[in-house]
Amino acid sequence: MTASYLFKRFMLVIYTLLVVSLLVFGITQLLPADAAVTLLGQNATPQALAVVRARLGLNDPAWLQYWHWLRGVLHGDFGVSMRNGLPVAPTIMAALGRSLLLAVCALLLMLVVAIPLGIWAAVRRGKLADMLVSVLSYVGISFPEFVTATLLLLLFADVWQILPATGYVPLTEDFRGGISHLILPSVTVAMILVAHVSRMVRSEMVDVLQTDYIRAAHLKGLSRRRILWRHALRNGLLPTITIVALDVGYLLGGIVVVEEIFAIPGIGRELIVAVQARDLPTIQAGVLILAATYSIVNFLADLAYVFLDKRISYA
Amino acid sequence: MRDVMKHLILSPQGAVGLFILVVAALMVCGGAHIAPYDPESISILARYKAPSAEHWFGTDQLGRDIFSRVMVGARATIVLSLLATLMSMVTGAVIGTASAYLGGKTDEAIMRTMDAVMSIPSLLFALLIVSTLGQSSFNAVLAITIAFVPGMVRIARSVSLAARQQDYVSAAIARGEATHYIILREMLPNIVAPIIVEATIRVAFAIMLFATLSFLGLGAQPPEPEWGLMVSEARAYFFNAPWMMLIPGVAIALVAIGFNLLGDGLRDALNPRSH
Amino acid sequence: MSDAVLAIENYSLDYLLPQSEPLQVLQDISLSVQRGEVVGLVGESGSGKTTLGWSVMRYMAANARERSGRILLAGEDLCQMSAPQLENLRGGKLGMIFQDPGASLNPTLTLGEQITEVLIRHRGLDARQALELGIQLLSHVELKNPAAMMKRYPHQVSGGEKQRVLIATAFACEPQCLIFDEPTTALDVISSAQILALFARLREETGVASLYISHDLALVSAVADRVCVLEKGHIVEQATARTLFLSPQHAYTQKLVAAVPDPAHRLTDATPVSAQPLLSLQNINIDYGRHGLLDRLLRRENGKTRAASDVSLTVHRGEIVGVVGESGSGKSSLAKALTGLVPFSGKVDFNGYNLSGRAEMDKDYRRRVQMIFQHPDASLNPRQRIGEIIARPLRLYGLPEGENEAQAVARLLEDVRLPASFARRFPHELSGGQKQRVAIARAFAHPPELVICDEITAALDVSVQATVIELLLELRRRYGTAYLFITHDLNLIRQIAHRVAVMYRGDLLEVLPGEAMAQHASHEYTKALLAAVHTPEKAITEHL
Repeated sequence: MTASYLFKRFMLVIYTLLVVSLLVFGITQLLPADAAVTLLGQNATPQALAVVRARLGLNDPAWLQYWHWLRGVLHGDFGVSMRNGLPVAPTIMAALGRSLLLAVCALLLMLVVAIPLGIWAAVRRGKLADMLVSVLSYVGISFPEFVTATLLLLLFADVWQILPATGYVPLTEDFRGGISHLILPSVTVAMILVAHVSRMVRSEMVDVLQTDYIRAAHLKGLSRRRILWRHALRNGLLPTITIVALDVGYLLGGIVVVEEIFAIPGIGRELIVAVQARDLPTIQAGVLILAATYSIVNFLADLAYVFLDKRISYA
Repeated sequence: MRDVMKHLILSPQGAVGLFILVVAALMVCGGAHIAPYDPESISILARYKAPSAEHWFGTDQLGRDIFSRVMVGARATIVLSLLATLMSMVTGAVIGTASAYLGGKTDEAIMRTMDAVMSIPSLLFALLIVSTLGQSSFNAVLAITIAFVPGMVRIARSVSLAARQQDYVSAAIARGEATHYIILREMLPNIVAPIIVEATIRVAFAIMLFATLSFLGLGAQPPEPEWGLMVSEARAYFFNAPWMMLIPGVAIALVAIGFNLLGDGLRDALNPRSH
Repeated sequence: MSDAVLAIENYSLDYLLPQSEPLQVLQDISLSVQRGEVVGLVGESGSGKTTLGWSVMRYMAANARERSGRILLAGEDLCQMSAPQLENLRGGKLGMIFQDPGASLNPTLTLGEQITEVLIRHRGLDARQALELGIQLLSHVELKNPAAMMKRYPHQVSGGEKQRVLIATAFACEPQCLIFDEPTTALDVISSAQILALFARLREETGVASLYISHDLALVSAVADRVCVLEKGHIVEQATARTLFLSPQHAYTQKLVAAVPDPAHRLTDATPVSAQPLLSLQNINIDYGRHGLLDRLLRRENGKTRAASDVSLTVHRGEIVGVVGESGSGKSSLAKALTGLVPFSGKVDFNGYNLSGRAEMDKDYRRRVQMIFQHPDASLNPRQRIGEIIARPLRLYGLPEGENEAQAVARLLEDVRLPASFARRFPHELSGGQKQRVAIARAFAHPPELVICDEITAALDVSVQATVIELLLELRRRYGTAYLFITHDLNLIRQIAHRVAVMYRGDLLEVLPGEAMAQHASHEYTKALLAAVHTPEKAITEHL
């Protein structure tokens, strides 16, 4: 992997983050309502409004406001929440931690289920097992998270009562309790991802199993097991890295919904509350951080892919 | 055109997808007429009724007939999502095709920027826009359109690039054909098919996204009978009256499945060589 | 037949189709291969030759049904064997060597592993022994530095080297019978000659019985002791190569033999070529890739590749000039430059036009210089009907006198010997040869002065190629068109070209008279190329 490739790719991440920050700031700047009015209410006096406007820097030209905001962000200061007056950064970062836990659980769950499922469907192509997986994945990608979540809640928390309905318990306090609270949310988010990723994995594996070199391996008299494990998987699973990285985008979206339904105090929940309250700094911080996370995940996935694919490494 | 329809109906995905969508179209067009009750009429006496002969889908917490609400809500959910996808498809196709044809640095700059925009997940992007413009169906549609454009640009560009490199385009250039002829008559007919397939599958995603936004209170507002909103309102009552939530939820899923199946069926039917 | 290593007796195979009668792919095939013998299997597309090869290996499509017959390997019927038994045979006693060595090797495994796994599987060796034996085998196929080669990945070695590795793998377990499926098609002429020499040597040493499948009759004749000619699933003739060429019995064989390009058999008539130059190229350079400002600032290596370097060539009115070379020689780039598809530097003089860049090529130039592409599927827009495709140049350049569009299209179709009803069809409804004829009709819509043919018959069967060439020559007689005929087929070009330009890695090495290339060749590369090519004459005289 050449240094120049690394450099170029890293510059791309910087460019991406810059564009995202511009978008985030730019969109929220189009606010028809005045931020000062939102803060003080409709009945505030013009003088009070003028004071707040000056304090928030709303009289500066747009690019200057952007610059101030960006500078703050780069120093870790995301401003002060317009809803409760507390600094945004600590709240968001704590919430992020909880969301990441949920995200990682969902991701692991998804990988453990989707990849074997996809491979199995590919090996049994055209047979009943494949069709079953195909039907399930159609259904899986068509149910929005909020429908799945509510269905699961109904079944597990109400009818069978084996899992807690909502809420969050930190793992450090009570490991078992914490895990039991995480199960339903993780499964909900993972479902849609499993449906999508298993389809892609199946498609990749089917392509690999039809290549000339797999045919050649058959005709060398190698055992089916060896062909699958030693020859096919390495070629089929490499693109999976890219697929999973792209799906992290859906993952992040799903987390927002799921945190709302299961009342988990993560970054998604903060965002929803902030949107409803028009709390600009929190919204900006939340979206920026999530987009940055997505961008970095894709960057790492690209690096991993290049590192693992012999053809590119040696080129 | 007739060949396409024929092949579509012959394939299992196409047939099922088409069937679901015909039913959906009927609901959209004739929903208000089929609905036996006024979707917004409240009746204290008829609250929380389970599905029965009188109320096929039961009633909700305000005594409104859910069947009627689902029928009328189809318009809100499906039409708006279709609109968002269509707008993003057209915008994306134009930008993507132009980018592919122009090539070089322009193409690279456009694509890098699109990639950057796409690093904001669709739901978050929509959240961002709705938070700015306010919570309503129209703003949700606008948000979804803008969020979808970069993805459509990517698809349109990759398909255009593939078409651009075909020998028949080279033959046209060698003949001395005008640029607009090449783009419109040589490339576009070969590009339209994959884009339509992608757009059809995107509609499913748009429906889900729109319903999700409404569910979160950021899209359709009460008392609109939009399906996502119905699920959200029914949450509080799902222990007592689960059908209130299940029925609109399943409706959303069914329509999404229908579009997904149709998209897959179209992919095979529109490919002249797969016959 | 008692001595035969491989014996196929009355073998018939069908493909079951969903909504129609089963397709009879192979019918009553009987042939045998003795120890140390090479039997060639020749046929065009649709003949079933490849299917027969797969059937011997017992690699059947899901919808294949064997109707009758036996396939005996050393006396045992393969059709009756169980899967584990077959697994034991394949790669060991029965092996196959494939067409595309690049595609037949797993890109994510080392070459060494792909050899040793066979040794471990069939000869019961352990990893260390297999490694040692693998290195020995690689050196036996004349690969330099075999120990290092074992650690390489397929993309790091050339096509010829990959094929040697595959041959080593096939011979590794002392096979009784080997099936060769067009093993040299994906290689350049010189590499493929070396591979065939290697194979001859190994065959001598091991006495393996071989079935050599190919579409190239001249090549098979050089390799095989006996040749079976396959037509639509039937063996129509079996004889030695010599007999086949000298006195073919069956009508199909005769047609095939007649279609094989034979440099001794000149097709172009002897009418003198005008001395007037039509197209003159001077110091043409074609570059690909960018070396932008940023690259120059950072002093990066010049990323441009020079596809053609300082090429100067003249084409006279009505002349056929051939351009031959292997892939990467720059011949296709030349075609693209002349039709304005890629930029070039240098001077192009066409009939008084002085062009120094593609911006100067106007519609009139483009009308008079036409191009036909290699792949007929790709050069016709799949969503346009044939009539529309042919009508396009008419709309662009104007209709001929006294004809409306429909009449002109019908006449053009007739000129290329296609029925007028084809105008309503789509390209995917036509065969490869028919599509190429449509491309020719399109090129001749407004009779051009020069037609550039970029490997136009490379993707066609040899009999179809013969009809296309015949059509081109007839059109030349009628309209006096000149051709710049780009190909890698030396035999073909010697049949039709007045002069032949030889290109190698972007350089134009020399220009020779078409009829007497061998006598006048002075460059080493040209001589090596001519020596490596298989001709019917060689098949008759050299092979004993």
